[in-house]
Amino acid sequence: MPRVHKRHDRSDIFIHWFNAACWLLLLLTGVGLIQNPAIDPFGSGYPEAMRALVGGGANLLIIHEVIGVVWILGFVLYLIVNFKGARFFLGEVFSVSPARDMAWLVRKMVLMTLGPRALKAVGMDPELPDQGYYNMGQKAFAQASVVGGVVIAVTGLIMLLSDRALGSGASGLVGWSVTLHFIAVGLVFAGLLVHIYMAAISPEERPGFKSMFTGVVPDGYARHHHRLWWNKITTDGE
Amino acid sequence: MARQLAMVIDSAKCMDCKACVAACKVANHTPEGQWRNWIKLDDSPPRPGASNRKARFQPGACMHCDNPTCVAACPTGATYKDAETGEVVIDEGLCIGCGNCLPACPYHARFRNAEKRKADKCNYCPERRSAGLDPACVDTCPTKARVFGDINDPQSEAGRLYLANKERLARVVAATDTKPNMFYLGDPGPEHWAGEAVIPASMVALKQSAPLIKGIVALSGLGVLVMLGRQLLAGSGDSHSGSGPSGDKENTDA
Repeated sequence: MPRVHKRHDRSDIFIHWFNAACWLLLLLTGVGLIQNPAIDPFGSGYPEAMRALVGGGANLLIIHEVIGVVWILGFVLYLIVNFKGARFFLGEVFSVSPARDMAWLVRKMVLMTLGPRALKAVGMDPELPDQGYYNMGQKAFAQASVVGGVVIAVTGLIMLLSDRALGSGASGLVGWSVTLHFIAVGLVFAGLLVHIYMAAISPEERPGFKSMFTGVVPDGYARHHHRLWWNKITTDGE
Repeated sequence: MARQLAMVIDSAKCMDCKACVAACKVANHTPEGQWRNWIKLDDSPPRPGASNRKARFQPGACMHCDNPTCVAACPTGATYKDAETGEVVIDEGLCIGCGNCLPACPYHARFRNAEKRKADKCNYCPERRSAGLDPACVDTCPTKARVFGDINDPQSEAGRLYLANKERLARVVAATDTKPNMFYLGDPGPEHWAGEAVIPASMVALKQSAPLIKGIVALSGLGVLVMLGRQLLAGSGDSHSGSGPSGDKENTDA
């Protein structure tokens, strides 16, 4: 029995942190591009400050566009280098076993906020159903990130092309891209807050967090947190 | 009082020569088939003997409104009302030509520049003004029907005309009152051509979804705070790592 199990390839680790860095920069620059009292996410002040920092809104737009294109190219590179890994990831995050995974999600949410007493009080078993390579929380955020990421990238490219290649007939397409870009980023960001807490702040997932640097998880962590995956790799081999 | 650059137009002096339209086009290199300014014609031209009506022509362009619906339709602030001069400005570097502002102008003063692929409209010729000249249309008008300047400055010609005629100045009436800063002396000519400010459905959806999105993010943030609070007060519930508080009897996540 090995003491650790391989969980992430080097390209997986790269794309995770590359994506994290891009998202942070894209969020900081992107929110600064919204300047309409009806939408402005943080209220007034931030877009003005961000624009002043880089010497105007036009510069901020260019910075946002460049980072956005680099972000998309990073993913293209990842897909070329590790297409197999990407396919495995997509297969895992989009295969949901409804009864098991929904029970896990509901119980986990109650456990994390109200505690096990709350589950017992309503007559529910505080034990969590076994999970596979990803638990349902990770799957939910991964699904939102994949779908949201595709929407963000496609609408971003449409906006990028708007004043470079598109004619006036595309104004409906561009207008809706602005709206969808905003909504998709907002929803993924809501999930991101929980992801950052669960992975980096909650001590429970500390071994998982470390594996995003080392690529491996301890045997005990795999057995407790990803039992179905652990069963599979300990019987079939990794 | 802040400045408000505006036009005061004596439409009785306009003879529909269209020199202003041509001068604007030359000064601003507007693409073929697109214009920043216009002269509206009365839809019922005078006929001999039928009435005593005069020919009526109404020069116009972007009216740099006090209530600019185009600004409300812009998601990024690429179109904004300059607080110093009262102009409605387009930041071409920030505009991506999404087209939201076009139907938001009830006077159809905006168009998408076919070459720049960005919103375009009258900007009172900033290049000429910085050289001490009037906007091209004003400079070229042979009858001086178009008068340009700061209407809050009684020393300027526009301000003098504005203040002297305040009671009888007319504005173009649109279904949406945008409080335009284009004033007509006496008879303004055609009246019912301006429409309604239309904010595109995508922009309405953006504005309506914004509070919902903010609410979802706030809810998520609140959830994180509750989890963090529980982590700090009750321990993490992490039995197998051995790092949880020893007194945590509720520990079940293993």
